[in-house]
Amino acid sequence: MANTHSLASLIGVLSLLAPTLVVAEDLFEQGQALPEILSATRLKQSPAAVPGSVSVIDRALIDASGARDIPELMRLVPGMMVGYVKGNEMTVNYHGGQVGTARRMQVLIDGRSVYRPGLATVDWTDLPLAMEDIERIEVFRGPNTVSYGANALTGVISITTRNPANSHGTRLKYIHGQRGIDDWYGSQGFSSGNGDFRLSLSGQQDSGFDHTDEDERYRDSRRSTRMQLSATHALDASQVLDWQLSAKEGSNQKNFYSDEEALVKGIVPKGDSNKDINARDFSGSVRWSLDTSSTHNLQLQAYAQRWERTQEWRTCDLELSFTPEVAALQKLNPDLLDTVARLLRDGKQIPASAGPLAFTIGNNFYKNGGALQAPVCGDINNNINETRYDFELQDTLSLSDDLRLLSGLSYRKDSSDSQSYFQGSLNNEIWRLFGHLEWHLSEHFVLQGGAMHEDDTLSGSSLTSRIALNYLITPRHGLRFVYSEAVRSPDMQENNVDWTYRLENLSQPVNGRNSAYYYATAQGPGDLQQEIMRSREIGYNGQFDFGLQIDIKLFNDEIHQMIAEPLKIKEFSQNNDNYMWLRGAETEIDWTFTTSDRLRLTYAYVDYETSEKSYRRLTARYSGSAGWLHEWGGGWSSSLFYYGADLLNERRFERADLRIAKRFNLGKSDLELALMMQQRLDDEALTWRENLYDERRLVYVSAQLEF
Amino acid sequence: MSRLLLFCCCLLIALPAWTAEIIFSSSTDNPAIQAFVNELKQRRPDDLIRFVALKDLPEPAQLPDTSRLVLLDRPSLDWRLADPAGPPTLALRISRLQANSLPAPLPAQLSLLWSDPSPQRQMRLARLLLPAAKRVGLLYDANSAFLLDEYRQAARAQGMTLVTRRWSDTRDGRPLLYLLAHSDLLLGMNNVELFNSHTVKNLLLTSYTHQRPVIGPSASFVQAGSLASIYSDQSDWLDSLEERLDQPPASWPQSGYPSHFKVTSNPQVARSLAIKLPSNESLAQKLAEGEHP
Repeated sequence: MANTHSLASLIGVLSLLAPTLVVAEDLFEQGQALPEILSATRLKQSPAAVPGSVSVIDRALIDASGARDIPELMRLVPGMMVGYVKGNEMTVNYHGGQVGTARRMQVLIDGRSVYRPGLATVDWTDLPLAMEDIERIEVFRGPNTVSYGANALTGVISITTRNPANSHGTRLKYIHGQRGIDDWYGSQGFSSGNGDFRLSLSGQQDSGFDHTDEDERYRDSRRSTRMQLSATHALDASQVLDWQLSAKEGSNQKNFYSDEEALVKGIVPKGDSNKDINARDFSGSVRWSLDTSSTHNLQLQAYAQRWERTQEWRTCDLELSFTPEVAALQKLNPDLLDTVARLLRDGKQIPASAGPLAFTIGNNFYKNGGALQAPVCGDINNNINETRYDFELQDTLSLSDDLRLLSGLSYRKDSSDSQSYFQGSLNNEIWRLFGHLEWHLSEHFVLQGGAMHEDDTLSGSSLTSRIALNYLITPRHGLRFVYSEAVRSPDMQENNVDWTYRLENLSQPVNGRNSAYYYATAQGPGDLQQEIMRSREIGYNGQFDFGLQIDIKLFNDEIHQMIAEPLKIKEFSQNNDNYMWLRGAETEIDWTFTTSDRLRLTYAYVDYETSEKSYRRLTARYSGSAGWLHEWGGGWSSSLFYYGADLLNERRFERADLRIAKRFNLGKSDLELALMMQQRLDDEALTWRENLYDERRLVYVSAQLEF
Repeated sequence: MSRLLLFCCCLLIALPAWTAEIIFSSSTDNPAIQAFVNELKQRRPDDLIRFVALKDLPEPAQLPDTSRLVLLDRPSLDWRLADPAGPPTLALRISRLQANSLPAPLPAQLSLLWSDPSPQRQMRLARLLLPAAKRVGLLYDANSAFLLDEYRQAARAQGMTLVTRRWSDTRDGRPLLYLLAHSDLLLGMNNVELFNSHTVKNLLLTSYTHQRPVIGPSASFVQAGSLASIYSDQSDWLDSLEERLDQPPASWPQSGYPSHFKVTSNPQVARSLAIKLPSNESLAQKLAEGEHP
């Protein structure tokens, strides 16, 4: 209570420091007293003075791309590698990395970090966010832990949703097409009292890939229903309160995989092919911003998020696999266990020279007429619930017209609760202290630098820094020189996993019990160090009067103490022994050459070297995109995009997208009908060999009504 | 003959302002008005200058024809309009929007000096600061729709196309979003129904998010975050007023913008939008030169 009281008095005192009102000075100014809105604390650096590379995907591009998922939009960002594990599981890596996981990038929705606390991935399919609610996406290409915390190792994707004040009225949209595409969206924006509100409801559905390389039907459909309520309240001229609630419920199909087969293949029936994941995400956030003066802003943000993943299925294995010898050999020498299993499958005996454990397993396999070859089936799950609470206080102080200091403090609590992954629950607390200084040394030079200290219960403390010098040839043309250090804390799965599967409701008792542990287990080492990245960048950003904007970046990045081993239960050995080294150049050109034509080109060349072979796969050496947006008049518009990458996970990727739209004005409402066509220009599977479609072409249509 | 004409013209210009009675009036009195009147007194010691509260003035027709009336607010203008007869009158501090509701025809001896910035000057200022701009966005409402043609012509004169959107409900930001998506800059029309302390925040922040500069509508908007605007301060008004007073009332135009003005701009906003900003003085000078080649 005392705390509440003191907070209230603090707010009271701060409110007294009213923001500067611009008062009319003489008889002839219009006599309006206006607060300083674009104050030094709100203004950002001009593109040429930004201390890094930033790509902006604005609403016009989002519409023109016809994209149904954020990863598809990331193809418009130079150096971004988009992979598909399955139709409902996408990964986005900047400059590549592992295909199956993307854990080195920070992803924020309205300032809320959405990478999962326990498994550190971003479930793009499960974000409680409709594409229609996105206003813009800013992608910071390069490490920026100073501003965004320890997971912003390779980059930051910051998604901003529509401001409720600018989304009044009703908007309805329906998308339907091949591959089971069936999406809907409805939103209503309104104002009441001092607040503006937007409520959106949406659903997404498709059937994913059509078939595997073995001509089996691919089981990777997805279905989701989402809700978002967003509000902003202008409390007074100096205070704004924003809050948001969102939720998502859905199911993502998942199939059985070859590497999840029984110990000895071909003897027992496969388990469920239904390994579907039920995913529910919830979040709530609130942000209070106070301008104590035109040179000082305080911002307090708090949010809570919960990820619930339920994945339960029934699996079968030989009774043999529940004998202690199998578990012991798996722990001691998993490769030998593989060899033993292969020999047994081929009906061979295990020689005594293979060692006592292998020899006993061989004997057990054949004894009593192969009694231990009988199938034992049981219920198994990958259920996991993750929670994040985050509080952040940010202070922006403009010391003079040329000097600005941004500083802050944040506390985050991440929890992960899973019997299979952690034998219970695991918590992590992260304290963060950060500061960033922007200094316009002269008309031509801007020096920007910052540092962050982070203290993480599970992986210790770290200090990272970043410095950039921008040389502005003119206000619209600048060269930048950036050096940054960044860290990534090992995630809970890498460092602290206690991975064990317990099969319940066994089809027949094992050792007289109705449940049994699976023979493979994995334990995180617990003493992993943070990954360290050092990045050097030289860049140029220019805006020309004829509508051309161009950004060029040359980079040389290295990641040390890299944690890169695959996260597989049967071969889990995480360490800090790997490294990755990336060097290259990329460019982004955006040219509005007439009022109805926009051309956008991106290109990235990445040269890389890494000690972990699986990391070489998702990095395309050459990748890029080209887009042409045109307004034909009479409500007609078209957009044509090309996306290409030479080798994305060892497969070429080339696709052309065409979107044709016609807008009808029906009095007070607007109707837009659009046709979207995607044509793959190569014969490759998408990311993995089993990711195949029946046709290289995809067609879907959309109708949107606004009133 | 031409020499004679020239001589007459010179004589007319060189004539000392004859001692005249200049009566300022307004429904309210305040220190700002007094300061303005006193300043003019100092500038024109030969004239008889006084302030008379509106309530103390007789009917306009009862004032001597040789006097000049300078009205400083709407009630005093309404009082003057009630009587077609009366001394030559200059009305200050009246905007285009306010004047639109005045009864027509106006008395012959009445000259209105608009308080809002001239669309032509604002448009030329936009052109000077943003040489690449092709489309200029303008929000309007039912009361200001009559000005659209004038703004359209002003934009065309600078080689720009005017994109307009009606903004009936200022809490609904969709018309603003449309304009920002379809124009290179936003021009603020001096309309307090649209541009006021309630709308300023969303207007400026949304425009800034879209990296679109706002020109106008007033000096206080520039301090709040618009890029630049022209405006006339007290000394400009005194200069403009003196110009009128020095002319015979018969040559007064029925309405016009003050001939003297300044430019104000926001260097922090310009820097953030990567716009090269000349000094306010040189901008004002270029605009003035454009008017008097």
